[in-house]
Amino acid sequence: MKRLLGVALGVLTAIGGFVDIGDLVTNAVVGSRFGLSLVWVVATGVVGICVFANMSGRVAAASGRATFEVIRERLGPRAGLANLAASFLINLMTVTAELGGIALALQLASSVQYLLWVPVAVVAVWLVIWRVRFSIMENVTGLLGLTLIVFAVALFLLKPDWGSLGAQVLAPSIPEQETAASYWYYAVALFGAAMTPYEVFFFSSGAVEEGWSIKDLAQSRINVLVGFPLGGLLSVSIAACAAVVLLPAGIAVTSLSQVILPVAEAAGKVGLAFVLVGIVAATFGAALETTLSSGYTLAQFFGWSWGKFRRPAQAARFHLSMIICLLIGGAVLATGVDPVLVTEYSVVFSAIALPLTYLPILIVANDPQYMGEHVNGRPVNMVAMIYLVIILAASLAAIPLMIVTGAGS
Amino acid sequence: MAIGSRRSRAALCGAWLVCAGVAAILLSGCAGAPGSVPDTVSTAVKDSSSAVATARLALGLDADGKLTMAATATTLDDSLKELETARTTLLQLSPTVQNDRDLRREALAVLDEGTSGLTTARDAVASTDGSPTLQDGDRLLEAAAGRMSAFTAQLGGQ
Amino acid sequence: MKTARQPKYLRTPGRTLDAQLHLLDRQVLDVDGVPVTTVDDIEISAPPPETPIPAGTPAPTLTALLTGPVLGTRIFGGRPPSSRLIRIPWRDVADVGVVIRLGVRGEPLDADWVERWIRDKIIARIPGGRHDPR
Repeated sequence: MKRLLGVALGVLTAIGGFVDIGDLVTNAVVGSRFGLSLVWVVATGVVGICVFANMSGRVAAASGRATFEVIRERLGPRAGLANLAASFLINLMTVTAELGGIALALQLASSVQYLLWVPVAVVAVWLVIWRVRFSIMENVTGLLGLTLIVFAVALFLLKPDWGSLGAQVLAPSIPEQETAASYWYYAVALFGAAMTPYEVFFFSSGAVEEGWSIKDLAQSRINVLVGFPLGGLLSVSIAACAAVVLLPAGIAVTSLSQVILPVAEAAGKVGLAFVLVGIVAATFGAALETTLSSGYTLAQFFGWSWGKFRRPAQAARFHLSMIICLLIGGAVLATGVDPVLVTEYSVVFSAIALPLTYLPILIVANDPQYMGEHVNGRPVNMVAMIYLVIILAASLAAIPLMIVTGAGS
Repeated sequence: MAIGSRRSRAALCGAWLVCAGVAAILLSGCAGAPGSVPDTVSTAVKDSSSAVATARLALGLDADGKLTMAATATTLDDSLKELETARTTLLQLSPTVQNDRDLRREALAVLDEGTSGLTTARDAVASTDGSPTLQDGDRLLEAAAGRMSAFTAQLGGQ
Repeated sequence: MKTARQPKYLRTPGRTLDAQLHLLDRQVLDVDGVPVTTVDDIEISAPPPETPIPAGTPAPTLTALLTGPVLGTRIFGGRPPSSRLIRIPWRDVADVGVVIRLGVRGEPLDADWVERWIRDKIIARIPGGRHDPR
């Protein structure tokens, strides 16, 4: 019974922790402008992240080392430094976006100005990283994030035309008021939102934090293979709500307030309460994960002592770098830049950086010196190679598409 | 470690590409996508009608008791910000042809109607003495939405 | 975990190490398993450059592992002055494997000075800095 509860907790946490501000905003924008014609991208992204999260967890469990530690050893300092620079900058952008998301959601809940919530968000995220145990942090934010299921509930309450929704999913076509370039631009953005790079660093470092060994791999596999696809379904329901309510009204999503309107229409103030709790929890959890990822990547590259399992005094540089990241994120938001815009850019840049992050994992997962007998099997390698091609294509197409479409406008 | 150095060279090339790409984007963002005046005007009016539609949806939900005052106020503020951004884009245009100048003048008038409808709606939501009413706000917004779609149709015909 | 069978050159008596493969960029852990740094470069005792080497000179020996700004010079070129190098003397190294283990505690080492400084000046000043999370 206890084992069953443990498994359930893991899966539920994975579902609730899947959605972050990038998923929320990108799926809502896509739903309000393209209907459900881009759902196939979400499906592709979910399969991809399942494959690579599994791999990075296996690397950590089999070798006892987290991903970034091994990148430098395996690829050399130059490649490692290039990787670090790109990943760190994009991580920083994502931290900023998540902090902005927390502040926006709190503004929706309270009507207190958004800029006043930014320092609150920064301090709250820091406090949790400073003091709260890793497992408690993961479980609480994951479980609270489950309230985002209200999007799926709202979709049912809205009584949409399932036939036409299904047709949009299975026979995707570009709506007439949008161009092919913007369709593919948002395909890349959606892909980047689903296959977030920080997830891989966080997953493998988290495995080391919680002291996983080979026998914990089965649990992690269940978490990933059941939790992430259900999380993907949650993302699709966000898009579907936007498609059912906002698309016919001619509303293109540009702010977080528009994302929640379909839920309010379907489920009133109760639904509103659930969705706001869910957004705060999901963005807060993601802010924690991205900030920790920044710390992990820096510390693992330079060989610093790291980990939440250590006293902060024993991992001084690790904690200082995270404090600086949070301060930079808060400072950027304090300039008044639109956090939704930051989010939209961060997902596209994530897509651009994906090859840098995933190729090293694939290399390490095939190295018997680290993995012993747990190297990748043939089928996993085949799928991973296919994904590498997709990732490279998305990464190369992103910048030209961004220029041609003016970042999707 | 020949493989490693080959890979590291490739990765370094990749990193430089990323940096070059970032620079390209920042430059293109600053320069702004070069578009004709009618294109810019049409995009601005499209964004504004989306904002007005959002405000009407929010007002409707608020009247049905489905939104809290905080959420409605925030939504209306966001819509107003969207209109302001569209307005600024129009003001930054420098049309050289009389046709384009007329187009811009008309678009600004349409946007102003939307702005006044939004401010009335915002006052209605925040008001404690019952005036203006939500219906006042919605009426103005409906008129603005009508003018915007007529304008877009006219642009599409041109 | 079953380790891979060692290649032939490693099965000869004593140990043959390749600096690039086994030493450079490896994690250094102290005797308690706490990470100290990564190996950014190594220092070898050798005659100064551009001097003729007389016959019978003993072979160069590895004197220290280096860390710190040498990473920048290793990637981009150049050399910091000898007095500025942060060294971990080779005699402190206890084992070379997937990670390099020292036989001493990391705290008093030169290589740890940044960590110590940040800890004393910043982290320890924030309440809860010494709190054990377990």
